[in-house]
Amino acid sequence: MNLNVFLMNDYGIYVWSSFLVTFLACLFLFLKTKKTLKKLEKDFIKETQILSQQQFENLKKQKVAKEILASHSRT
Amino acid sequence: MIKFLNPSYVFHLTGKILNFVKIFIIPITIIGIILSLFASPKDYIQGDAARIMYVHVPSAWISLLCFALISFFCILSFIFKIKSVSLIYKSLAPIGLTFNFIAIFTGSLWGQPTWGTWWAWDARLTSMLVLMFFYIIFIFSYKFISNPQKSSKICTSISVLGLTNLVIIKYSVNWWSTLHQPSSINLIGETTVHFSMLIPLGIMLFAFLLYTALIFLMKYRIETIRVKKKGLKKL
Repeated sequence: MNLNVFLMNDYGIYVWSSFLVTFLACLFLFLKTKKTLKKLEKDFIKETQILSQQQFENLKKQKVAKEILASHSRT
Repeated sequence: MIKFLNPSYVFHLTGKILNFVKIFIIPITIIGIILSLFASPKDYIQGDAARIMYVHVPSAWISLLCFALISFFCILSFIFKIKSVSLIYKSLAPIGLTFNFIAIFTGSLWGQPTWGTWWAWDARLTSMLVLMFFYIIFIFSYKFISNPQKSSKICTSISVLGLTNLVIIKYSVNWWSTLHQPSSINLIGETTVHFSMLIPLGIMLFAFLLYTALIFLMKYRIETIRVKKKGLKKL
């Protein structure tokens, strides 16, 4: 196997580091965002469980709340 | 237009678009990486070091685009007093900051083999660093100022000031003698990058834009749920 494909005439360290840092930064932001989204959805569901029946029915009329509740029941 | 600013409508839309983006992002990124690292030719002067361009340039463009959009939505929110617009700029800011960091970091890694230094206080580099400070101050402003009206006013001021910095970034290579090269890709003028390099660059840009859309949609959902959670107490 031609090692120069990876060494890139001694520029490999700079090129691979650039791609790696980009990948890690993007992965970090993605995982952090996903974690926050899941946590908030869970918290939202938890808070709806302490609502009275009347409050819960009112909540279900809201499009966003309905969608969060639906997505939670799917998972 | 108003329909697209309605959080309920956008929230519903985000769910649909998210699935679509998730399908395409991985194959397009893989194709972009293979073309950038292995299939595209070396630069005749910089050699393989020029491959850094495929992550550096799209990151820089997206960080500028995000700030321009933030400024637009801040001004829109300030003039028309549309509260839901804040969900959009709050979702865009962390993405812009991440790409700004990537652009500066990869630029530094590109600078060492080509200029012989990791960093220089050159107009383009410095103005990109200033943009990073604008992003940080902007994020701190909406995170730590609890009064929404005050926060909105401060965010608008920062974004308008930052907008002037965007002009400086764009023309810094023309106005001053800089280490950074002038732009090689022009929408109006002549593009000096060969077609064989433009294709992987375009694919990487598309992959980064898909990633931006993915994170934006997730962040928008986060901000909407936060608002709805506060509303639960009022039920």
